[in-house]
Amino acid sequence: MPGANHSSFASQHDVELCGHAAAGERRAFGELVRRHGSGVRHLLRRMGAQAAEADDVAQDAFLAAFERIAEFRGEGTFAGWVKRIAARQYLRRLQREKRLSAYAQESGEEEAHDGDTDGRIDLDEGLKALSPAERLCVSMCYGAGLSHGEAAEALNLPLGTVKSHVKRGLEKLRTRLAPTDGVALEGRRGNG
Amino acid sequence: MAEIDFERRLERLFADAPEFPDAQAFAEGIERRLDRGWTARRWFIGAAGLTGGVVGASQLVVSNLMQQVQSAEQSARVLSQGLSRVTPSTDMVSALSGGYGVWIAVGLAVLAMGFVLSRVIEEI
Repeated sequence: MPGANHSSFASQHDVELCGHAAAGERRAFGELVRRHGSGVRHLLRRMGAQAAEADDVAQDAFLAAFERIAEFRGEGTFAGWVKRIAARQYLRRLQREKRLSAYAQESGEEEAHDGDTDGRIDLDEGLKALSPAERLCVSMCYGAGLSHGEAAEALNLPLGTVKSHVKRGLEKLRTRLAPTDGVALEGRRGNG
Repeated sequence: MAEIDFERRLERLFADAPEFPDAQAFAEGIERRLDRGWTARRWFIGAAGLTGGVVGASQLVVSNLMQQVQSAEQSARVLSQGLSRVTPSTDMVSALSGGYGVWIAVGLAVLAMGFVLSRVIEEI
């Protein structure tokens, strides 16, 4: 019977699974974790968490999501919703351990990495070139889908500071993610 | 425009997260934690129900309900005396006047506790 449940859940849409989970069906929620667990863990690592810490926070975030599953109305994606929960939980952990203020005060002047001069490198490598504060802000806004205002509130920073962290972070990422040949990039963009 | 393109590309890169080899184990770990939490919650509810039942039953026995029952017994006795003049005495009135009312109440409380306990066991 449990096997039958698993296979039937595997074919269901996230919103349907959320409905089952809201009714207390833990196997349905397990299927959601199977689908989106890696995404949430990646996001936390990209925000700067070590692997074990990212997994810890991701677990807590999923447990919190299960408790609050009735609040999920299906307006956005489940993945986006749970990523926002995870991002906020990670910030709360940083705050609790007094690490957040140190992160947020990082000026971002240091260039952490030389980057890959051959051209395109992956996002994870690119993010290593950002200061912790830039990395947090960029990941929260583009990975967890928070607005600048929401990120500022979560980080307890002025909106202008968050915006400048994001701007600087994007500039650094642009130089690292884009191929060295700008014309080629423009051509690719033009093709969609 | 190029800025928006780059931002969209960045969002896609963030969304594009390869699955970890231990994704299945991670999900099972969370399911296990949910199961543990659920079981603990049911135990807590069951224990709270049982404690409530015990407290309720003890209150029923210890409280001044005893006195009230005694006064009710006296009333019943008076009533039965009155009734005996009109009709022959009934078993029911004599049962109440004999103090069985308390034991009936206690029996009902024990039944209620048994019901709670059986529900908890069934849930588990």
